[in-house]
Amino acid sequence: MKHFLGFRRPDGRAGIRNQVLILAVDECADGIARAISQKVPGTVVVTNYNTCMYGGNEELINTMTGAALNPNVAGALILNMGCGSIDPELLAEQIRGAGKPVHCLPVIKSRGTRITIVKGIELAKQLTFSASQITAEKIPFNELVVGIKCGGSDTSSGIASNPAVGRAADQLVDLGATCIAGELIELIGCEDILRSRAVTPQVADKIEQLISEEEKRWHIAGTEIETMSIGNSVGGLTTLEEKAIGALHKTGTRPIQDILKINSKMTQRPTRPGMYLSETTHLCGGSGMHFASLGAQVILWTTGGAGFNNPIVPVIRISGNASQISEDIDVDVSAIMSGSESITSSAERIMDTLEKVAQGQATAIEDIGFSYCTLYQKEQRLEKVICIEPQ
Amino acid sequence: MDRPSNKAILLSEKDNVATLLTDISKEQAVDILDDSGEIQATVCSRQAITFGNKIAVQTIPHNALIYKAGYAVGIAVKAIPKGELVHVQNVRSTRIDIPETIINSIIEQMQIEE
Repeated sequence: MKHFLGFRRPDGRAGIRNQVLILAVDECADGIARAISQKVPGTVVVTNYNTCMYGGNEELINTMTGAALNPNVAGALILNMGCGSIDPELLAEQIRGAGKPVHCLPVIKSRGTRITIVKGIELAKQLTFSASQITAEKIPFNELVVGIKCGGSDTSSGIASNPAVGRAADQLVDLGATCIAGELIELIGCEDILRSRAVTPQVADKIEQLISEEEKRWHIAGTEIETMSIGNSVGGLTTLEEKAIGALHKTGTRPIQDILKINSKMTQRPTRPGMYLSETTHLCGGSGMHFASLGAQVILWTTGGAGFNNPIVPVIRISGNASQISEDIDVDVSAIMSGSESITSSAERIMDTLEKVAQGQATAIEDIGFSYCTLYQKEQRLEKVICIEPQ
Repeated sequence: MDRPSNKAILLSEKDNVATLLTDISKEQAVDILDDSGEIQATVCSRQAITFGNKIAVQTIPHNALIYKAGYAVGIAVKAIPKGELVHVQNVRSTRIDIPETIINSIIEQMQIEE
């Protein structure tokens, strides 16, 4: 069995990075969080951008909490203004419960912005210091939880990078690891194939139900919502179904253990190894945070040439588009397009890169530029109107 | 006669479209390869088509399904002659359509000849 160098957390999970989160539970504390983070290397800011109220934002707070529970995270500093209804203890209690150090810092009680920044820098430094005291140890490879996502897809995605990642996903599952895909909107049209891969009829029904809910959510007559980008179409993709078949390739062929729900009541996490689907959004920034909250330590991300990145969960970018390969791309699988490399051999190279990143090697653009830590959530009022009850 | 070097791949024998592996211009012969690289047919292009886009390998009637990789990926909203670019100007999704304004900008950006 292969190993990676990881950081064992008190809850038993192991991370491949050792970050400290600064969670601004109120949007008005975002500037303070960023001012603290600028002075303390090794910290990542996650801000609730969407009001300071708890009601209606439960899913967003769950994702924020889940990100702090991610094994790549060593501890958290929670900032709130003090006049909203989101009790920082809602998050702190769970983070503490997982055995991770956590501090809460209310801005009003601290008597203002400047003093809060000073106090916050002190607390964040304590957290990064305690993170630095954790020594990396050998962790069996099967403890990896790998998010699988595409973005900026073009024709090469369906022919090269998605099939190669699918092959790697099969290998990971065979090694006893866990893979999680999502983007249900992109799997519309693949329901029958997915049903046949589900481990039980109940899982098959759940897959079909959650895909149909996602279709209902995005397909509302009279509203013009883009489920495909212009870049997708210029690259040769004509319809969502065509994109779906290409997208499906990256989930490989192994049985689907479950489809993990992400809603206002819960964030389901994998309970045993294997291939999973999830309600991880197709929107890239939000997907990074969904994968973080599901416990993924790393993401395999297929693309034409885009450079998506998340600061909590390292992203390995894989492209099959020879004309768009840049220094941002971690694994170039464009030789599949010209017939000079097999999918199997490309998948081996993806596995090699994954192993190195799990050992601590930085991805092509790790620490260079990140997407926003977007906390995507379903709009509860819309859910009610279209008759979807979170269960 | 020189062998044409233009290639497109037919991902499944059920397919009525092939994906271009090279850019082609109007009225060029395109070799249609199967997934093991054998030439199955040669089709003459009716307009310039860029790499990655789809060419009709047979005449596709109005309202017929478009098959790629063995799966239905859309429906023809007009009759599509053999050799034509099969894309947003003549195909719609059977599930969720791209908004009309976006389709227009795709057609404009790609300079699709109607």
